[in-house]
Amino acid sequence: MRMLALLRKELADERQNLALFVPTMIVGFVAVLLPVLVAIVIPYVAGERLSDSSDFEVAIEMYRTQPATRGLDPEAAIQAYLFQFFAVMLVLIPVTSSMSLAAHSVVGEKQARSLEPLLVTPITTFELLGAKVLGAFIPSILLTAGFFLVYIVTAALLARPGVAWALLGPRMVGIVFILGPLAALAALQMAVCVSSRVNDARTAQQIGVFVILPIAGLLVGQLAGAIELTVTLIAWITLGLLVVNAGLMRVGIALFDRETILTRWR
Amino acid sequence: MATQALTAQHLTRHFGDRVAVDDVSFELQPGEIFALLGPNGAGKTTTLRMLAGLIAPTSGSVRIGSEAMTPDAAPKLRERLGFLTEAPGLWDNLTVHDNLMVYAQLYGMRDADKAVREALGLFEIADRSRDRTARLSKGLKQRVALARAIVHRPSIVLLDEPTAGLDPESARDVRELIVAMRGEGRAVLLCTHNLDEVDRLADRVAVLRSRLVAIGTPGELRQRLFSSRLRIRVTQDAESFAATLRTSGVDDIRADGPWLSLPGGTLTTPQIVRMLVDAGAGIEAVERDEPSLEEVYLKLLQADGALQ
Repeated sequence: MRMLALLRKELADERQNLALFVPTMIVGFVAVLLPVLVAIVIPYVAGERLSDSSDFEVAIEMYRTQPATRGLDPEAAIQAYLFQFFAVMLVLIPVTSSMSLAAHSVVGEKQARSLEPLLVTPITTFELLGAKVLGAFIPSILLTAGFFLVYIVTAALLARPGVAWALLGPRMVGIVFILGPLAALAALQMAVCVSSRVNDARTAQQIGVFVILPIAGLLVGQLAGAIELTVTLIAWITLGLLVVNAGLMRVGIALFDRETILTRWR
Repeated sequence: MATQALTAQHLTRHFGDRVAVDDVSFELQPGEIFALLGPNGAGKTTTLRMLAGLIAPTSGSVRIGSEAMTPDAAPKLRERLGFLTEAPGLWDNLTVHDNLMVYAQLYGMRDADKAVREALGLFEIADRSRDRTARLSKGLKQRVALARAIVHRPSIVLLDEPTAGLDPESARDVRELIVAMRGEGRAVLLCTHNLDEVDRLADRVAVLRSRLVAIGTPGELRQRLFSSRLRIRVTQDAESFAATLRTSGVDDIRADGPWLSLPGGTLTTPQIVRMLVDAGAGIEAVERDEPSLEEVYLKLLQADGALQ
């Protein structure tokens, strides 16, 4: 009940401060725009077909072997491959959003000097941090779902027939709805941990680089052909993120020492 | 059976090598305004935080009613406390109503909306309930913070500098609200630098400088440090009547223009007045010549400083 009361306050606070979502919106639009540019706009402007290039033979072969995409023509198979490839960018949406919201949420309480009155209430540290984490997590996931919808609709409208349908497989769902939320949870828990010790939201946000870098690594790894983001690999990363999140939750509660916060925060 | 609303016993708090609060003991009665006075860094806020169970004492204990404030008991006992922190600490993006509503829910009020409406009514801010707190004046923000401190109807209210930075009118309003809290039977602990405010409001005063320098009613502290004097304004030159009083055994009489000043306690006030009237004096005013609380406070700290 107490967690719910504070969660409602967090969400109401965010609704009044929509500027917090600007970085996330930028990342979201870039994530949607990149595959459109690479798979559709650039070939159209250059007057060339992607399937004329030998660079995408692997992509054509990969998609020809999958039952759901067997019917795609070579150009559509490459477009589907590129849209899948850039889907990792969608993971950045909840990460950026949750870091921004969580850092603002805890440091914001410090700056407004509203934390001490809150700590005087019977709320427990778990309830307080739970509300803070959920208050950042829920809008982040809603935004991700929104941009995923835009991603699919964009593919349906601009790419070749069958591409959008080909994107709705377990791999894509795993990336957007499992890896994304877990990476976001890790990022926001890091932001909450750091927020407990700093007085500047930007400092708290910088810790997110530890989550963004591995995501960028995945993107580069795929580009270089070193990594193929298969369902098995997604499952392993999911397991790793679950462990990281469990550890971060313990660290977060341990770091959020009320006495230290009250006596050292100025 | 414990009748105290709150009891602090031998409260001590160290921060590293620094002793912020040293062996402080006092009680707070229901329906009493108790003021904690002290210079900056005297340990007032640390004491309040220990009383609220926000930080643990290095040694000593706090009891709310008859229950000890322990880390396990603190969340439950905090339901009986209202705490106004030095800064209002409101959520600026939320309305006045929503600020209070969150707190009413955090305190588990069954009818949170009714509790909020009552608090808004008591502090006369119901007409601003839909305004975002960012748009309120400093005085109104302080009212909202006070309303928040009592929205869950606590029996004890801890107030840290409730009128700091307020204009005289807002400060007066806040003082009236504090008196109203006492009228409702709440025990109020007031932490302030404002000695005039303490003089007007407090039933008892404790002077703190890490340790307790003095405790008592303002009158008791005055008596302890200064002998009481009577000031009488006569219509004629006071000097001629000073001689009359001296012959009656009253010593240490000072005459200054129409004013006579003499120590209290030798004769009763009616006896002195009758003596002066018999001697032909026209009496214009009779008043007790009391030192201000500021004089008392400074003398206490001076004496304490001399001891350290």
